Formats: sequence, structure tokens, C-alpha cells
Amino acid sequence: MNSKKTMTLNLTDQEMRVLEELSAQKDLSKTAILRQALKLYQLVDLKLAEGGKLFFEDQKKEKAELMVL
Amino acid sequence: MREVIQLFDNAAKKLVDAELFDEVTVEHFLETQKKWRPIVKDAAQQLYRAGADVGSIPQHFHWDWTSKEADLRVLAFTFFGISCGGELQGLMKLATVGHVARHPEQKGKPIVYVDYLETAPWNIKVLTQAQGKNSRFGAVGSRLIEAAVRKSQEEGFKGRLALHSLPSSEPFYIETCGMTALERDPAKQNLVWCEFTPEQAETFLS
Repeated sequence: MNSKKTMTLNLTDQEMRVLEELSAQKDLSKTAILRQALKLYQLVDLKLAEGGKLFFEDQKKEKAELMVL
Repeated sequence: MREVIQLFDNAAKKLVDAELFDEVTVEHFLETQKKWRPIVKDAAQQLYRAGADVGSIPQHFHWDWTSKEADLRVLAFTFFGISCGGELQGLMKLATVGHVARHPEQKGKPIVYVDYLETAPWNIKVLTQAQGKNSRFGAVGSRLIEAAVRKSQEEGFKGRLALHSLPSSEPFYIETCGMTALERDPAKQNLVWCEFTPEQAETFLS
């Protein structure tokens, strides 16, 4: 296992509430949720940098491009 | 990460030490192209010519690990390899984000997804038999699946694991490992989605 470093994270009440909700829904610790978010952010960022586009398809099969900063 | 594991040496009929590692490099990918791919292609052709059942002929003869070189730098992917006797014996790519369980009891919960898993061709019985030889090491696939389950536990996924199995590998994942075969996936060449629940993963490790 890779060695891990510790950091302090300050969240607003709303951000913490969302993190706790996701943690309960996904059966994951809050740390695991944030690690997932980082991995996903890097993956999307790399794909966009390569010229890829990110779309969401709704139930009517209509696609909407998602902008990522 | 590097740790000593054990494989079964089929010639010596005993367990031997091998190394499991996650510091996979492009050199390992090049080794598969140079040493593995020609053997896999040759054996698959021999099986095809001999009229072997299509389901028993390995379908991974076209795989190219070098195409995954860019993924070595992506946090969402983890690679594991096994070496023994100075040679690469198995290689696996895992995705640790973006996949969720389909098992009714686990639906929607995050899983580790086995994107690719390959054992060196000299360890695959059906391939070595096609070439009139005995396979060298046993348990390479099992050791890699164990590493994948441990990765799932480390990620906080409690051992949840899934993959799309090639037809020739279905008996290994379903019967040997004890994964649940859930459905054929039209979005993935109709391959079977196999999944470990946390309980099944724990049983597999024990």
C-alpha cells in the first residue's frame, strides 16, 4: 500500500451535509468519497485535455454537454 | 508495493515464491507484446485449426497492453503484476472509480472493476496443451483476483468487485472464484457480468 499523507479540510455546513449524505448512500467513508471525487476529477480533466467531451444522456436519450472547469 | 506471494509450480508440484507488485511500467507492457502475444496467437490458431469449441479458444489474442500506457498515470486505474523466475506471469488493470454494483443486494454501491486480467500464455492449460506442453504455474489468476479484492477493501468498497468475463474464462470466475454471474451485457459484446458481494469476496479470500 502507498504511504498516505494527512491534510485538514474545511467544509461549509452544506458541503459537509452533502458529503455525509453521499457517504451514507454509497456505503463509503467520507475520506473514500473525497478520494473518489479526486480520481474522477483527474480522469475527466485528462479526457477533456485530450479533446474529449463529457455528455449526460437523459431518459429521452437527449444528450447535454457538461462543462468542467 | 511489492509482496511475496506463492504460485504452484506444476513441474515441481510444489508452491514457489513469486512477487506481486503494483509498480507496473511500460516495460511490462512491452514484455507482454514481445513474449506473450506471439504464443497466444499461435496457440489460438492451432486450436482453431484443430476444430476446438469456439468458447474454449482464448479471445484475448488481439489485446495490446501498450495501448494502456497513458493510464499508468491516472489515479482512477491501478495495475498489478506478478513475476516469478525473472519473468512476468500475470498482469491486471483495475478501475477504482466509475463502476457500481449490479447485484440486487448491492445495487449502486461502488465497486472495483477488473478492466483487464491476463495470465502469461505458458500458464494457461488450454494454450500449452495446444502446443503439446504442460502449463508452468498455477494460481496466477487467483492471486490477481485476491489483489483486486484487497484493493476493493482498501478503497472502502468492502471487497465488492466485478468484471466482464470472456467466455473461456467464465468457469474460472464463476466456479473457481465463486463470483455471481448476473447478466449478459449487450453494451460489452454480450459478455457476462460477474460480481463479488462483500460476503463472497470474504469467502474467496479465506
